[in-house]
Amino acid sequence: MNRRSVPLAYALVLPSILVMLAVVAYPFLYNFRIAFSNMSLRHFRNPEFIGLANFVELFSSSALYVVLLKTVIWTGVNVLAHVSLGVGLAVVLNRPIRGQWLYRALLIIPWAIPQYISALTWRGMFNYEYGAVNLWLMKFGLPQVAWLSNAHAAFAAAIITNIWLGFPFMMVIALGGLQSIPHELYEVASIDGANWWNRLRHVTLPLLKPVLVPAVVLGTIWTFNNLNVIWLVTDGGKPADKSHILVTYVYKAAFTLYRYGYAAAFSLVIFLILLVFVVFYMRLSRGTESVY
Amino acid sequence: MSAVKTPLWQRALTHGILILVTLVTLYPVLLVIGISLRPGDQLYSTSLRLIPEGASFHSYYVILFQKPFLLWLKNSLIVSLSVTLIGVALAATSGYAFSRYRFPGHRISLTSFLLTQMFPATMLLLPLYLLLQKVHLLNSLWGLMVVYVTTALPFCVWTMKGYYDSIPRDLEEAALIDGLGPLGAFLRIVLPLSLPALTITALFSFMAAWSEFIVARVILTKADLFTLPLGLEALAGTFQTEWANYAAGSILVSIPVVILFLLLNRFLVSGLTLGGVKG
Amino acid sequence: MKQKWTRILPVLAAVLPLLAGCGGGSGKAQGPTEITIWEQRDPQEKGVMEKVLADYEAQHPDVKVSLVHYDTENLRTQYQTAALANGGPDLVYGPSDQVGPFSVLEIIRPMDEFLPGEDWSRFLPAALDTLDGHVWSLPDQVGNHLNLLYNTEVVAKPPETFDEWVEIARKAMTTGADGRTERYGLAFEFNEPFWLVPFLTAYGGWVMDDANRPTLDTPAMVKALTFVNDLREKYRVVPRECNYQLMDTMFKTGKAAMIINGPWSFGDYKKAGVPFALARIPRATPGGPWAAPMIGTKGYSVNVNLDKSKEGAIRDLLHYLTSEKVTARFATELAILPSVRAAYDLPGIKNDALLQASLEQWKVGRRMPVVPEMRAIWDAMRPQMQSVMNGSKSPEDAARDMQKDALDKIADMNR
Repeated sequence: MNRRSVPLAYALVLPSILVMLAVVAYPFLYNFRIAFSNMSLRHFRNPEFIGLANFVELFSSSALYVVLLKTVIWTGVNVLAHVSLGVGLAVVLNRPIRGQWLYRALLIIPWAIPQYISALTWRGMFNYEYGAVNLWLMKFGLPQVAWLSNAHAAFAAAIITNIWLGFPFMMVIALGGLQSIPHELYEVASIDGANWWNRLRHVTLPLLKPVLVPAVVLGTIWTFNNLNVIWLVTDGGKPADKSHILVTYVYKAAFTLYRYGYAAAFSLVIFLILLVFVVFYMRLSRGTESVY
Repeated sequence: MSAVKTPLWQRALTHGILILVTLVTLYPVLLVIGISLRPGDQLYSTSLRLIPEGASFHSYYVILFQKPFLLWLKNSLIVSLSVTLIGVALAATSGYAFSRYRFPGHRISLTSFLLTQMFPATMLLLPLYLLLQKVHLLNSLWGLMVVYVTTALPFCVWTMKGYYDSIPRDLEEAALIDGLGPLGAFLRIVLPLSLPALTITALFSFMAAWSEFIVARVILTKADLFTLPLGLEALAGTFQTEWANYAAGSILVSIPVVILFLLLNRFLVSGLTLGGVKG
Repeated sequence: MKQKWTRILPVLAAVLPLLAGCGGGSGKAQGPTEITIWEQRDPQEKGVMEKVLADYEAQHPDVKVSLVHYDTENLRTQYQTAALANGGPDLVYGPSDQVGPFSVLEIIRPMDEFLPGEDWSRFLPAALDTLDGHVWSLPDQVGNHLNLLYNTEVVAKPPETFDEWVEIARKAMTTGADGRTERYGLAFEFNEPFWLVPFLTAYGGWVMDDANRPTLDTPAMVKALTFVNDLREKYRVVPRECNYQLMDTMFKTGKAAMIINGPWSFGDYKKAGVPFALARIPRATPGGPWAAPMIGTKGYSVNVNLDKSKEGAIRDLLHYLTSEKVTARFATELAILPSVRAAYDLPGIKNDALLQASLEQWKVGRRMPVVPEMRAIWDAMRPQMQSVMNGSKSPEDAARDMQKDALDKIADMNR
């Protein structure tokens, strides 16, 4: 645009940026500082500078890499499921069908209900003998799974719960994004002989991109850092601390053993991992450019 | 719209799948309702019965009239509605600037919004507490609002920007030729077309504030300031918890969200926006 | 239609945040002294606490006490955050092991300095935990210990040895029409090391030595882990997966004949109408030591950031809250053992069967260490115990790994 509107642009943008910086900068810098210190139970009020010692300890622990892999799997599976379910349901619920509003309203309830009770309810559902999941599996003649006492099954249980919690959000995003796609494009595609799959691939998904990209990027970041769901479903990493992702691992280090300096260093590493991902993904999808 | 009616089998299939998905989705919610109806504060049940023995609405009565539920509701409404309005306003304007103008620092600021989301929240709580204490925003709904707006903005700004990007600029250019200034073009032409995105932004901001308890718990330590999630948390014990009351409270807390969605749903129905404008 | 909204919304946006100013926040009149206590009492206890405070406020119109509730872990982190930032409540109430970290972080005041003229002999000796030569919390209850609870309609006489226990548990089990177990003999939280301790002590073991070093790799630990695992694998008297909430539900619905739980739950079971009685957790062999659950106390600690002008009011409140009348009230209503000697002479206490049974268990209990190292030990025990219970480790390996892990964690914590 022209030079005159640049100040207008800044005027529009500045309030948002200022609010953000004000609230986030201090905590971030605080963590940056203590990451290089030995802040812990015995060194709380006067932590000493210890250079890169926390980072060295972090990177040389074998547990880190397993937990990192688990976190990547956790994030990947969840986001993929959220987007598929969300977009799929949105496409179906964008058609003029009877009771459209009712289906939509019912399907956002997992988002609406407080996470604490729904995650704990899911935890109850995964109980071996009395949980609804196994009871239903039994009704269908399928074998029962020791969901919460087996490390891999517990991880799966947390993923299932999180998928349930997360798909409504993606559904709403997709519904919003679908409204910006002109009907004419679908009609033209149909006339050209495209079936529903082709229409989805060549019309819907590309045009949903501008709205989906922020949701996917942020959804990935939030899922990567999601402490609550894993903590509640596996009751803190059970069994045997084997269901951790990076953030729950950090939480334990910081709050059970008071190793704040170590936890801050760890958190910085998590931040950097996500930063690399975002930069990479943005380059790949050229997400800051507009669609047309 | 197409003049051909979808065949019956297709409609039946669609409804069949939707009903199945809805039932599976709602099952855990039915269990939560079961907990709220069950006398005796039991989180688990040992059978698949959805309506428990001796079911009663007593817990709803307790939550609404014996606990300061209405106080919590008031606090939550003030915080959530304010965050929604402020969030939408800031996102709608900044998003537009990012979409239409290529000013220096445009990329960095956009990316910086994302950066703020990447740091694990648990380690931010202690310094956040210290910060808010310094500016006297502890134990104040204002302080909470500021933090919530900060949390909600990145997504909202990005979403608005993305949506604006999909609106062709010829519409605004036509408006400018017609004599409207840039602000007028924004308010009269672009904004109405962005209602679906504004809806998403509003819903998201509302939810970000309505159901958040981790930050709220750190900032608000006076019982008369508690928001709904904190009020419910106060019912949780280390071992024994008032499960029935907690579940009843959770169901009640979900209702305003569903109501808000239903009110905004009209903007998520096709034909209203770009699809209906001859481009 | 749209026009109206564009007019209303900006007004709303301006007005709503202003509403945030009213209700809560400042506006403090120079009136009553306000005392804030952060606590972690479960619902029944909290109910009694509120009544007790209402009485106090009636007698002292110039004092207003408010409670803020958190669950135990959150109470610890919240209090730390607030107190380290020079804020926080006036008093913090919780189990004795929180004084370990709090005193190291220097966020509570030594109670013996805060109450210089206090007659400490009025408390049971086991009620006063000292750390670094000071008493850090003023206790109002002792115990917080596990007991054996049994459903009196199903179990006539509680077991005294492990063998009897398995026997009675087996007899109490019933099967439903579908072939699945209807009622289990025993249910307890077998993923938490707190529940492992009674078994460990029954075989003569303990968690640390006098120098606060962990002693987890012992034959006693192996035997304890083996027995707990056998209860499920060999004797099949406990459910396949069990946690606190399930144990609680099963006892309330008659699906478990016996459970292992503590005084925080008695009030709830009374309210739910479960016909239950208490007994000592059995000994491993006739003539061997009784199982010794950890006994602790719960009490009030004073914030270092306390406003000097409130000290007098706080002292008065503390004396009230730890008086024999008040502690006896918790005892009679909830079967919680008082910390104060004089309370035990009151008739209501002497004649209360539940309380006396709890006292019997308490007498053979062993004091929970309040040193910060205990946290590291719990953290080391927990995953190993769970590995044994899910069949992925042998008790011998688990015991050995627990010990190593505990030593590592203590070293990490004390760096």
